Amino acid sequence: MQNEMSRLQMLGDTMTQHGTQMALALAILILGLLAARWMHNSLSQGIRKRYPKNKLALLMCNLLYGIIVIIVIMGTAVEFGAKPVNLLRLLTIIALVVTGVAIFLKPFIPTMPFKVGNTVKAGNLLGKVEAITFLNTRMKTFDGKTFFVPNRQILNDIVMNYQFTETRRLKIDVGIRYDQDLLKAKRTLESIMIEDPRVKTKPGPMVYVLNLASSSVDLGGRCWVDNKDYWVARCDLLEKAKLRFDSEGIKFAFPQLDLHINHDRIKAGGSFCPAPGGLVGPGAREASDEENI
Amino acid sequence: MKIADGLKLIEDGWIRKPKGFRVRFHKQTEAGVEAGLSPPHEAAPLSSDVTAWRYAWKLWQATQAAAETGAPGALYNITVVDDQDRPFRFYGSGDFETYNPKPVNDGNGTTTGDSNAT
Repeated sequence: MQNEMSRLQMLGDTMTQHGTQMALALAILILGLLAARWMHNSLSQGIRKRYPKNKLALLMCNLLYGIIVIIVIMGTAVEFGAKPVNLLRLLTIIALVVTGVAIFLKPFIPTMPFKVGNTVKAGNLLGKVEAITFLNTRMKTFDGKTFFVPNRQILNDIVMNYQFTETRRLKIDVGIRYDQDLLKAKRTLESIMIEDPRVKTKPGPMVYVLNLASSSVDLGGRCWVDNKDYWVARCDLLEKAKLRFDSEGIKFAFPQLDLHINHDRIKAGGSFCPAPGGLVGPGAREASDEENI
Repeated sequence: MKIADGLKLIEDGWIRKPKGFRVRFHKQTEAGVEAGLSPPHEAAPLSSDVTAWRYAWKLWQATQAAAETGAPGALYNITVVDDQDRPFRFYGSGDFETYNPKPVNDGNGTTTGDSNAT
């Protein structure tokens, strides 16, 4: 009991000696922080309105806020009795340690392989990066969903950044029937790509015969476009290819099987089913004694 | 001739690559008929002829009612031109097409207004 009484007396003495100082220091701290916060909010709102895409201005605003907070804390400490010289020394030491650690650790800190605004595929997600924070990355998919992906998960997965390079190769693959004019189809497809202003001249567009498939001759058009134009250019070129081939009279292929009926076998009381090898691809079309259905 | 020269010759002379597209039209105003472009020369042209033709078609659809009565705002002879203001063939048919054709005199000569647009 006596112990507690002596403690209370000590507190009372302290309050009598330093009470005004403490109250003043506390007032400086609270008012200073509130004022700094208000200034920061007003300034950043103004900057966002005036320069919506200027990240440097926002960074400077945050830096200014940090400096004001440090000044307020230092003012509070000085008011409380701390010597300004000591505070400055402490501040200098802290700044040097933080800078040194940051420089030393920078090569070991993993960085994200994309920037805000890039279109990326991370894991199963394809979308645009909206924000990168210390813990997660905010991505918006093209159907309007927003995902918050942990950075750890992104760094452990394969990431495809579609905007790492400026240009991207575009594929226009079409299949034409075997009885169509192959060279005309190649020329037509190449013209469609060359005419388009978005298609790069270097490297120029090319058309290859990719495959002699069972029902089609597969042509592959290859050209380069800017990343930003990729999707629309691809859709436009496919649309043009379909319409131009139609107007040029070039027929697209579709999966088909030729059924050959052997009349001699049917007359002899044989099965309607074709002989082994009767159901074949285009190579069998030349058989003259058989009827194509 | 070196391969590079040959490629340059092909690039320059084979198929002309337009730098952009615009929709050209005649607009009915209170004072008469004025020629116009969208986007105008001061603005960047459209990069796709597919987009330009779709835009032209939508302009035609949007002003069809006005065009029937000849009210101000009606658009006639809507077509797509390239960066040098030359008519550009419709990619679907390979022909020069004009939506809502009408012979008009805009001060630069009479436009016949022929079209095979459907």
